[in-house]
Amino acid sequence: MSGFLSTNLVLVQSTLSGLLLALSIQVPLRMGVFSFAGAGSYGIGAYGAGILVLRYEYGALPAIALTVVATAVVGLLLGLLINRLAGLYLAMATVAFDLIISVVAINGGELTGASTGLYGIIADFTTAQMVVLTLVALALVALSERGRLGRRVETVREDPELAASMGISVRRYRLAAFVASGALGGLAGAMNVLVRSTVGPLDIGFGLIVLALTMIVVGGSRSWVGAVIGAVIFTWLPDLLAVIGEWQELVYGVIVAVAAIYLPRGIHGVLADGVRWVQRKRRDRRAAAAGVVEEDEDGGVRPPEGEDLTGEGGVPLPARAGPDPAHALDQLAARPQAGS
Amino acid sequence: MQDLVSVVTLGSVYLLFALGMSLTWGTIDILNFAHGSIFMFSAFSASLVLERTTLGLLPVLLIGAAVGALMSLLIQVVAFEQIIKRARDRRTAEMQILIGGIGVAIIPLAIAQHHTQSNPFGLSASSFSVESISLGGLRITNVAALTVLLAVALWAAAALWLRRSRQGLALRSIGVDAQTAALMGVDRRRLALVTMAVAGATAGLSGILFTFSLGAMTPESGDTLLVKAFACIVLGGVGSMLGVAFGAYALAAAEVLILTQTNGSWVEAVSFGLIFLVLLVRPAGVFGRKEVRRT
Repeated sequence: MSGFLSTNLVLVQSTLSGLLLALSIQVPLRMGVFSFAGAGSYGIGAYGAGILVLRYEYGALPAIALTVVATAVVGLLLGLLINRLAGLYLAMATVAFDLIISVVAINGGELTGASTGLYGIIADFTTAQMVVLTLVALALVALSERGRLGRRVETVREDPELAASMGISVRRYRLAAFVASGALGGLAGAMNVLVRSTVGPLDIGFGLIVLALTMIVVGGSRSWVGAVIGAVIFTWLPDLLAVIGEWQELVYGVIVAVAAIYLPRGIHGVLADGVRWVQRKRRDRRAAAAGVVEEDEDGGVRPPEGEDLTGEGGVPLPARAGPDPAHALDQLAARPQAGS
Repeated sequence: MQDLVSVVTLGSVYLLFALGMSLTWGTIDILNFAHGSIFMFSAFSASLVLERTTLGLLPVLLIGAAVGALMSLLIQVVAFEQIIKRARDRRTAEMQILIGGIGVAIIPLAIAQHHTQSNPFGLSASSFSVESISLGGLRITNVAALTVLLAVALWAAAALWLRRSRQGLALRSIGVDAQTAALMGVDRRRLALVTMAVAGATAGLSGILFTFSLGAMTPESGDTLLVKAFACIVLGGVGSMLGVAFGAYALAAAEVLILTQTNGSWVEAVSFGLIFLVLLVRPAGVFGRKEVRRT
């Protein structure tokens, strides 16, 4: 294991920072906020931590802490500013934000090292610390997908009006998405610059947005599992594709395009659908067994497939009795496959 | 005065590029992020053809327009139609189209990058040569003059088509309410294909002219122009033909102003800053009538 780790250290580190970058765009997406601001926060985080360590001789952890707070605050301010935009307009405003960050980096003169960027950023930052910080962030994101909070977030995305009518402050959730996105992006950038020791304006341009987006699109946009899948695939794929050699860029493009068109919920979506299909089959079998008993009691005719979730035409099936909001939301999420 | 020439030339480049994007976004609701890729790949294809034979200006322009139109049609059929078919509502559809466009755009970029090793490519093998002509004391290259003429002519043609023709009326009605338009017998699919082909052809033309006037293009050139075109469209107002022309020349004027007043490294920030400012102050754009949808 340690041998594997030492030979693939760079890839492991890239996977971790890539994962956080993907999460910084996925978290707002999960709340229905189509924001790419995470990539800009990554830029601020990378340059911020680099400057703090290089010019002001901060330790690694204080530098990271400070930049994460700073990017969270920037995220909040940006959110307050552009919260009223929606859809494509919001997306493009955040793309503009990201590109402005890279222009500022080029024009920062001495402080940001202009077009050459910063290099020789040596800090006391270990991979173990990086793993711990990433896991903590990942755990927090995973928590936001479970239980009450998870259902609220889903409602804010799927139906903001419904959420508002149920007493959920949509505005507050959307602002929280901007803050979380800023903090995650900042953390990713800060940690990456401390293990890589360099950062330049080219590292934080349009390509970064595309990278983060491809990870989520291919992995899956609805769960942190998708971000993990995407980060692993796109950090390790170039190595695996080295077999194909010179055409790896093309293969990469085809994978992204196909996923974007045919798998709108990514690999994780396909896996989740598979799991749900298996569960439904099992439940149907159980319901069919229960249905045989009921048929004996009232003599009614029931469709062989237990698909009637509404319980129409008779007593609701016992397995599905009682309101289950999580289940209802599952149905909501599963609908696009069934719809036109 | 020479600065004014620069503004008009640069603005025409932006207009020619943004025209197609504005057309598809304003009518059939497709913000095509592969537009930059089409722009680049059309010029790239022309440069490949010129490696074999020597051609004049007109054939090269035709090649560019044809490649652009074909690519655009292909993307519409293979990607965007499939996404729209699968999407559950308009909001998810437009986001999936944005993401799908970014995904599709990687493919031509990868092919061009692989072939050129990410080096700039040019059309210098053409028998057409760029010359400077002077008009009443002002210097302008023949390519720049052609760009201005083509941009204004195509823009006027597109605006007239949208405003006066029956097809244009149908197209605009899709932009207002696709369902009602379909009930009135508008064939959405066919019109969408026509619009995408026209948009692709203008992207191809602008790619050729851009490469001629700068001498060379890098495979990555499309990305920057894409964001600038977005700035032009948003500045003028989505769906407004007058707006996109205003946006293109206003952006060019602002950039030339910054370029002549400072050392020039902030020029790139102008368009990005403009997007921000316009979206905040007047989200519908200067000439836009349609309200921005909000939640």
